[in-house]
Amino acid sequence: MDNDLTLAPLGRSGWTAGAAALLRAVARDPWFITLLILAVPALYWTASGTTPVAVERLWYWWPALMRGLGMNVQISLLAMTLGTMLGLVVGAISLSPLAPLRALTRAYVLAFRNAPILVLVYFTTYVFPFEVPVAGWVLPFPDWIKVVIGLALPASANVAEIFRGAVQSIPAAQWEAAHSLGFARTQIFRMVILPQCLRRMLAPWMNLYASITMSTALASLVGVHDLVDTATVASNTVARTDFTILIYFTLLALFFAYCYPISRLTRYLERRHARH
Amino acid sequence: MTESLLEGWVAFARPFGLNYAFVLDAGERVAFVRGLWVTLQLCAASIPVSLVFGVLIAAGLTSGRAWLTRPLTALVELTRNTPTLVQLYCAFLVLNMLISQKLEGGNPITPFMWVVLVVALHKAVFHAEALRAGIEAVPGVTLEAARSLAFSRGEILWRVQLPLALRFALPALVNNLVDLVKMTAIASAIAVGDVTYESIMIWSQRDNVLELLLLILLYFGLLTWVVSVAGRWLENRLRMPGYGQ
Repeated sequence: MDNDLTLAPLGRSGWTAGAAALLRAVARDPWFITLLILAVPALYWTASGTTPVAVERLWYWWPALMRGLGMNVQISLLAMTLGTMLGLVVGAISLSPLAPLRALTRAYVLAFRNAPILVLVYFTTYVFPFEVPVAGWVLPFPDWIKVVIGLALPASANVAEIFRGAVQSIPAAQWEAAHSLGFARTQIFRMVILPQCLRRMLAPWMNLYASITMSTALASLVGVHDLVDTATVASNTVARTDFTILIYFTLLALFFAYCYPISRLTRYLERRHARH
Repeated sequence: MTESLLEGWVAFARPFGLNYAFVLDAGERVAFVRGLWVTLQLCAASIPVSLVFGVLIAAGLTSGRAWLTRPLTALVELTRNTPTLVQLYCAFLVLNMLISQKLEGGNPITPFMWVVLVVALHKAVFHAEALRAGIEAVPGVTLEAARSLAFSRGEILWRVQLPLALRFALPALVNNLVDLVKMTAIASAIAVGDVTYESIMIWSQRDNVLELLLLILLYFGLLTWVVSVAGRWLENRLRMPGYGQ
């Protein structure tokens, strides 16, 4: 009875307090603030019909910019997929007991980690042919796929290092313990080592993904119609000082909006991993 | 003497399918060597600038003053999460244009300086992160000891924290500098005549992309090797018994 009396008002005030807390949290959320900063002037301009010309032009170019960003994302995802597959193979070979094989992967990793990515992108763009004959057919070999390969090479070298580091970070005693329990080498690898490695690899792998995504901006230098290229074309077409300022800083903001959440997530994973 | 050496080299490379005939053309050879020299200058200029900025940003980040750390944190996040090329465009195509308009043509900042500035600032952020970790790793008792000896805040930073942080962060700093050397290749995007740009000029005249790219990769390999050897030498030189590895 006593309980009921105290619970009822507490429940209501708890609800309002909860709603207030939620509102405060939303109001402090950086994404919400960003949205507000963007939406308020936009609403004001549409309502009063005084949209600045530069903003109007930006709105006009927005679909093209988004298509460009799509190209960047597409290149980065494909390059990372290819790089991861290649890198895991190279990383696995670099753990082999055969010294010549290890030396070979060492050279591969060194070569592709020490080469500027821009030079690798030029390399794949200009050295590969623009079409490839496959069994009587002539398939086009578009520039953006060459950029994918140019980015996948350094990505694979880095994935190989991440993989090697993760496997070697597992204490050798675990191998011995699993051996003594009668596991075979492949079983130990699959059931003991790999599950732990995957967790350790996730954060550096995502770091690498963010860095590869930023490198996709280089695609514009070899004529791929990506976000940076679209922005340059837009700035040259409109040819207004205020629009040029606006579009290049929009470019910066778009890349930031894509890469910053990834880096936050990476840091969160790193912290969580550090606790284990 | 040089001429015959170069001819010998061209003849040596030909059986491998590599056509290095451009070195026999005086104009192109001079352009390529100038490109090598400009890349070296870019590295030599941006390495010290990046280190100075890195120390300043690290000092600001660890100062504990909100009006200093907040904007610096924002700068760090912005720099880390946007492509260097876009930063270079924002600096060169936007800021440089505004400065040129303000000064009506008499802009003293060359594209070379913009590349140095952007690349150095980009890497300075990474230096700062490494140095900050080093500064925070300095044991509390060491700081207490320094304070009890009446060191001021600045003196503690300069004479106690930074020397220790430098040793702690050196491997990361060398890694960043290797990255910086590779990053100077983006100078070609705004037509600074570095080795990549001069090579593009040469290979658009002749069809020798592969040959030039191999040379560029070798050159960057050499530069990064020099940086990492220097780093390792410095690491050994600065090693203090009982601190770090």
